[in-house]
Amino acid sequence: MENLIVEGSHGVYFVPYVNFNAETGECELAGESYLEDTVLFYNPLLEWLENYINKKREAIKFNIKLTYFNTSSSRCLLDILNLLKDYEDEGGEIIVNWYYDEEDMDMQEEIEDYEIDTGLHIHLIPDANLAKHEDEEMD
Amino acid sequence: MEANHLEKKPLETNKFDLFKYHSLFNQNVQISYKGPFESKVLSVLGNYIKFTIGKNPKASKKIFNIFIELAQNIAHYSAEKNLFGVEEGVGSLVIAEYSDYYAFSTGNIVKNEDVIVIIEKIELINSLDREQLREYKRVQRNLPQREKGNANIGLIQVALTSANPLDIEVTLIDDKYSFFAITVKVDK
Repeated sequence: MENLIVEGSHGVYFVPYVNFNAETGECELAGESYLEDTVLFYNPLLEWLENYINKKREAIKFNIKLTYFNTSSSRCLLDILNLLKDYEDEGGEIIVNWYYDEEDMDMQEEIEDYEIDTGLHIHLIPDANLAKHEDEEMD
Repeated sequence: MEANHLEKKPLETNKFDLFKYHSLFNQNVQISYKGPFESKVLSVLGNYIKFTIGKNPKASKKIFNIFIELAQNIAHYSAEKNLFGVEEGVGSLVIAEYSDYYAFSTGNIVKNEDVIVIIEKIELINSLDREQLREYKRVQRNLPQREKGNANIGLIQVALTSANPLDIEVTLIDDKYSFFAITVKVDK
């Protein structure tokens, strides 16, 4: 199984950085998500995860380092988290880490809503570098 | 025919009064834009909002989030399309700064038959407290995607992000169209 890598970009739309590793089961989704066609972007991510779950059936560590996502992206994130929850319910080993800026109260509420919505336990990891990183992207 | 709110007049009287237009804006207005809500234009405006408008990064981020959701609504749903053949909706946007808040407004032409639905949606949003609003968002987000996208959850998110009521004003233009304006406050 191949790794799935998407270099994030910051142009007219914001493409998040994706690095799903088929060897280690470590998956990262970072940056900002505001896309021209949100479903078209997220479908391959969901397919990759379904494939990994069906073929490898090993542990997944899902690291989210998103600093911004619009509401269309938020629906797709929900699909990803629901998929991970289903796998966990079938006995799969899942760790979800969500790196966030402690000053960003809206994001903390958003993560809490995902926990309520999916029933997944999400590890909240404060990361002061996230906001800094976001500013650098524009230089 | 799409909505055309300019009356057909002889050329001389139809000449655009730029001074009058310019004088409409007081010094509180930071940005104003009227035109197609096209992705490249939105990206320039969005970046300006995100990185320049706020001496206050928290407020900038909130205004940016609100901007994206409302701008997308106009791009997808405005009943007025631009004359250059692009599909994007046409609308207006104003950001004004006051001593303790920013006021972010957008406006666009809507079909009269859609007005009631929008007003009801916004009245519902305004009637909910924060916890109820989060619950409402979760319920709506779990519904299957509707064909025309998700304006509903966008407006809920705008209300959550602003943490203030949504202020709307609808002005009847003719028997087919109205102008819909929404103003959202972001505290400093």
